[in-house]
Amino acid sequence: MEVQMKKKRGLRFYLSIYKKILIQDLKSKMSYRADFVISTFGMVLTNISGFITFMILFHNFPSVNGWDYHHMLFLYGFSLIALTPVQCFFDNNWNLRFMVRSGDFIKYCFRPINVFFYFISEVFDVKGLGQFAFGLGTFIYAWNKIGIPVTVVNIAEAVLFLLTASLFMIALMNLAAATCFWIINSGYVMVIMFRFKDFAKYPASIFSGVFRFIFTFLIPIAFVAYYPSLVFVTPDHVPLLSWLSPFIGIAFFYVSYKFWMLGVRRYDFTGS
Amino acid sequence: MTSIRKLTALTRAGVIESLQFRLGTAVTLFANLIYLALVYFLWKAIYDSSGVDAVNGMTFYDTMIYLILATAIFNLLEMFIVWDMSRAIQSGEIIMHLLKPMRYRLYTFWSYSGSHVISFFLTFLPTFIVVAIITKGAIPMGWNLLYFMISLILALIVNYNIEMLVAPICLYTESTWGINIVKETIVLLLSGASIPLAFFPEGFRRVVEYLPFRAVYDIPLTVLLGKNGTDTLQGLLPRLGVQLFWCIVLMILGNLFWNVAVKRITVNGG
Repeated sequence: MEVQMKKKRGLRFYLSIYKKILIQDLKSKMSYRADFVISTFGMVLTNISGFITFMILFHNFPSVNGWDYHHMLFLYGFSLIALTPVQCFFDNNWNLRFMVRSGDFIKYCFRPINVFFYFISEVFDVKGLGQFAFGLGTFIYAWNKIGIPVTVVNIAEAVLFLLTASLFMIALMNLAAATCFWIINSGYVMVIMFRFKDFAKYPASIFSGVFRFIFTFLIPIAFVAYYPSLVFVTPDHVPLLSWLSPFIGIAFFYVSYKFWMLGVRRYDFTGS
Repeated sequence: MTSIRKLTALTRAGVIESLQFRLGTAVTLFANLIYLALVYFLWKAIYDSSGVDAVNGMTFYDTMIYLILATAIFNLLEMFIVWDMSRAIQSGEIIMHLLKPMRYRLYTFWSYSGSHVISFFLTFLPTFIVVAIITKGAIPMGWNLLYFMISLILALIVNYNIEMLVAPICLYTESTWGINIVKETIVLLLSGASIPLAFFPEGFRRVVEYLPFRAVYDIPLTVLLGKNGTDTLQGLLPRLGVQLFWCIVLMILGNLFWNVAVKRITVNGG
């Protein structure tokens, strides 16, 4: 019996569950159409505002630390795409602290599936797709302007590096959200972490000394766009960290997942 | 006329309430310092690459002081009025506020004042001191500090009135997140909090000068740095006048909108 249960819970089992939960979520969102329109507008506006800031910067300063306009645009597009998954798939982390505080979180513990998976899959944030489209446009434009060859290897690498780069911000937000299992009302930790993502679009070579270490390994925003981008921007001098970034991303995500689950265990223990 | 004792009682309650969340204050201060490092490295690299000392009258230290303190002011001024009002409307709690023997707008302002006081002393002031030390005296220390404080209080009132003008939209739609992000994005971009107004292209800047948002960040920070002739009374007074003008205009508009919107409130049961 137990062996059978284990077998059932492969990737396919979780995908089918995800699909079911996703459809329910979209259905409930469809009933709030005005909210959807306003939120999407707000999301597009934040991207436009970010872009205007970027343009004003380059209006005054032609290059940053040897990175010219198109290379910076490449980084910018890369970061926007890499930041999409955390927005689309992991948005429910923002509700975690309310659920934990009110005690509603207990419902997730009573299901015979992974608690983290069930909690995270409950919300799919549609408005993140606007950011994805915006980022993809910027990315492709900059890719063309720099003249990176369009080969199967390059595209496969781009997909791989974008996917793994997205893990860093997901991990950071998991860690920030999970603090609420220990600290009441820890929303500010999430707000602060979320603000750091604005700096992911700049070359990490600007940092020196101890801060380089901090922004590479402790608050790893250097991996969101800078290190993976070097694979495409300077194919002749790719630092080791760039090649390692997919593995580091997976490791970071794993640690954040373990920390999150540790919080859940603690929550169980406290009861409510 | 509400007596001043009622108002200071609200301030005191706010101070006590904020002191409950000491950890949050400490974390915010710590984050401000990390943020300070980010801004320092980014703009140092930008100025080093450009090879000039000042761009549009802003030196590296000016830009740094401007942006760091803009973040600190953002933390200081942050109010969650849109969220609060939306929650109060959805839960029906709003009716309790309306029944209080004090006008709702006045009550909201003063109940936030305590957290402003705490946030000023525990996060803004330490950040200010660190910036002043790091930039080695680039912040002029004189009467401009007093003018800055006056300007900052006016900025707080303008910001509060912007919040109060936007918040009643929650009576028409349940999209709180959407309304809040639209408001925040517009304020941060057009006030100079994202990038100093001095860097804006000429035409764009002239438009922004006519909008109320620069009264929140750009004017206090310009006054602090003594830029654009604000070190003389002839330069200073018109700017404070602009802030005062927006305080009054936004207050009137907010009042009108609130009086119309409040009629829509329907509370079931309760």
